[in-house]
Amino acid sequence: MSARLQTAGAFILLQTLFAFAADVSFTSPGFPPSQMNAAGRLVEDWGAVGVKLSGEGVTDATPTVVSVKLDNAIPAAQAVSQCGAVALTLTAFRAPAWPLGVDVLTVRVEEKQSRAASVTVALDLPPKALAGLRTIRLSGRPVLTLPPREESGEKPRDWGHYDEASSLAGWAKPAVPCDPAFRNIRAGMGGVPIVYRFAVRPNSRASIVLGFCESHWDHAGQRRMVCKVEGAPPQELDPIAKWGRHKPGALLFDARDEDGDGRIRVVIRSATDAKDRNPILNVIWVFPPGPPPDLQQVIAGQWNAKAKRYVDVGGSNDQPLYPGSKLEYRLSLPARGLQELTFFAACQGGSAPIADASAWTAETLRRAAREVWRDWQER
Amino acid sequence: MNPSHHHQHCSCCISRRDCLKFLSMSALGAGMVGPALSAAAKEKSRYANPDYVDVAKLLPCPEVRMAAAIFEKPRPYWLGWPGTTYDLDARQKEYKVKLADSSRRLGIKTDLAASPINDEAGVGAFIEKIKVEKPHGVLVILQSIFCWPWLARLSKETGVPLIVFAPIGVAFTGHVLRISRQPGVYVASTLEWSAAEDGMRMLRAKRMFEETRVLWIRQNERKETVMERLGAKVRAIPRDTFNLRFDKQDATTEVRDVASDMRRRAKRIVEPNHNDCINSARAYVTAKRLMADEQANALSMDCLGMVSAKLVPTPPCMSWAMLMDQGITAGCEADLFGAFSLMMTSYLLDRPGFMNDPVPETAKNLLIVAHCTSGTKIRGFNKPAAPYILRNHSESALGVSVQVLWPIGDPVTLVRFSNANEMIIDTGKVISNVQTPPAGGCRTSVEVAMDNVEDCRDVKGFHQVVTHGNHRRMLEAFCQLYDIKVVRSPEHRPEPEAKTA
Repeated sequence: MSARLQTAGAFILLQTLFAFAADVSFTSPGFPPSQMNAAGRLVEDWGAVGVKLSGEGVTDATPTVVSVKLDNAIPAAQAVSQCGAVALTLTAFRAPAWPLGVDVLTVRVEEKQSRAASVTVALDLPPKALAGLRTIRLSGRPVLTLPPREESGEKPRDWGHYDEASSLAGWAKPAVPCDPAFRNIRAGMGGVPIVYRFAVRPNSRASIVLGFCESHWDHAGQRRMVCKVEGAPPQELDPIAKWGRHKPGALLFDARDEDGDGRIRVVIRSATDAKDRNPILNVIWVFPPGPPPDLQQVIAGQWNAKAKRYVDVGGSNDQPLYPGSKLEYRLSLPARGLQELTFFAACQGGSAPIADASAWTAETLRRAAREVWRDWQER
Repeated sequence: MNPSHHHQHCSCCISRRDCLKFLSMSALGAGMVGPALSAAAKEKSRYANPDYVDVAKLLPCPEVRMAAAIFEKPRPYWLGWPGTTYDLDARQKEYKVKLADSSRRLGIKTDLAASPINDEAGVGAFIEKIKVEKPHGVLVILQSIFCWPWLARLSKETGVPLIVFAPIGVAFTGHVLRISRQPGVYVASTLEWSAAEDGMRMLRAKRMFEETRVLWIRQNERKETVMERLGAKVRAIPRDTFNLRFDKQDATTEVRDVASDMRRRAKRIVEPNHNDCINSARAYVTAKRLMADEQANALSMDCLGMVSAKLVPTPPCMSWAMLMDQGITAGCEADLFGAFSLMMTSYLLDRPGFMNDPVPETAKNLLIVAHCTSGTKIRGFNKPAAPYILRNHSESALGVSVQVLWPIGDPVTLVRFSNANEMIIDTGKVISNVQTPPAGGCRTSVEVAMDNVEDCRDVKGFHQVVTHGNHRRMLEAFCQLYDIKVVRSPEHRPEPEAKTA
């Protein structure tokens, strides 16, 4: 080999080492790897995810990214940053969830100055990422599962939606005079349920009316739904079979805070064998307990003033249960205390688990990785 | 490789000696001395072969830890059920003995609280203990109608699967109704202790899933994943692994004995010759060795693809039947959820299943379930086998498959995991065994009259697993305990499609 070629080879080698020195790959047996880059961002085939910290005494810092082994078995990447008042550690490993695996990203924030601290953890995601309650989607693909909203540090409102459904204003076309809220809906696209929560006095009762207007299908047997209101028997509904197309209708529920937690839940799901698995909901009225309201008058909007809550679902007075951004978590750290947030990321070709439909937890994913690596032998 | 390797290095398993002791007492153990071979120890000495694989050692033997307690109210009892005349000491003594017997029979390590718990503080302490020790399940023997609120608290605060034995006299409908339909809970409101033992079987079955590694033999990839909720490991290996090993498998003494045994026990032999049976036995021994080498407990293979490519002289149908009769899941066509459905009947119901293609018989409104393999110990691993006829594989006219004659008039259950979070459960009754010819299709072919399904065309699923007996309530209870959604075929035909413009 000529000296010139040797020099060129060494240059390419050095450049390669320099370019990738801080990137750390990790995988699970038989899978293509994912990477944590030099900036401590988890890099996937759909983009990268990182976190930014803010708060009193919190500073920016360049992470040190290293390869580590979890439980003496699981290859993982770890980015550690000393951010002034707190230390930030991001750890990512591949969990071998059938069929295509899931990357587990743990964000750990630790107070370092022996003073209680309030820190905001903000997710840094690709610009077109859409945030649902627990799922981040890109072009419809679930790419990141978020921790429960209860971990966001926010206080929930008295009422609001608490689901992955979408608001579609003006979707319905009621063909008869009715309350204007019948024009708007929330829809559980992809088969996700529509969920609302209403704060009530623990163990108290309420009369809840749900309003529907189907404007897509023109024949029965398509969008069949099961409506559950806490404390009342579930009711199955096929809006076309019951009322017809573009015809507003209502169901009454004698609700009760059955578990005494001071909240009544309203859940609309598609029926198990429904052809159209996207549930819809147009209006909710919450009335004090008492004689049942006249449903025709309720549909006409004549009982709105009597309602304790009147929700134009998917319309102007609708709201999420948690007011803040879905991509921020406010952590309250005691002196020398720490807190962790765990995210599940889609890895190559796969999807992030949907919180409502998946049994995976941080604990079971970690156990899965541990058990697979324990017995794996390359052949 | 030593087939017991998995259990030697696996700290989560009970010891091999304990495991085999448990197996020898269980239906699985009884099944192992069943159809294919004689007793394992006898075999081993007979073959004196270091590569010999004892099927019993392929079965998962998980550790199952269960906390237990008796809940009562402070004594003496005065009014209120079970009543002043209820002999608490005698009943508790009786149930403690039964609990110990069941635990021993099922290989469950049960930690019974030293004395009955009779107040909120005791319940709180019990909950804290469970949170620390994280058992796989909790069993409560209820001894007062006033203790039900404690159960709701126990379930909510621990999240551990809860089995409640409520002997008659401690509940009205209202007490049972809500909690008995709650995910994570199984309530046996009965005097029959066997119903409480069923709950313990559910814990054992779930743990067996968690300790199972199924070989997924297909395509050309090698990787390992874990199935959500069930916890079973799925090791994908290239399809060629099987046929290359099969090619190297000689007709050893063990192979010849297996072949001879399958012929001897057959009610009739139609097409297969001696050589076909030798090949079938080679496939059986190959499968055992492959599972042992891969530390696996079950397999599901792209058998049809291998036959189609003429890579093997026989499909593994009869070999799979022999494995299934010994509690090992051996699934067809690399259908993973079909394999998990077979595993369900094996691990929970102690009997093999019959994974099949469903065919509507519209003239008689029956469902025909058909495939070229079925376990023969369909009444249970420790029960006599159903008669079978050795046939060739009907689609290819190759090798050895099996026509198992299912008992006419007997109830059956159809079970199928649609995915790890959903199970289809239906029931029916065997009407007849379909002969091929005149019918085409697969060799074991059974007509079933469905219960509560108006039209046989509406039966849900494909590759459902049919198992002998009506086990709907047991399977539904398992699903509820582990939060698996249950689906059944529609009772009534669907609304006709409207004509569209």
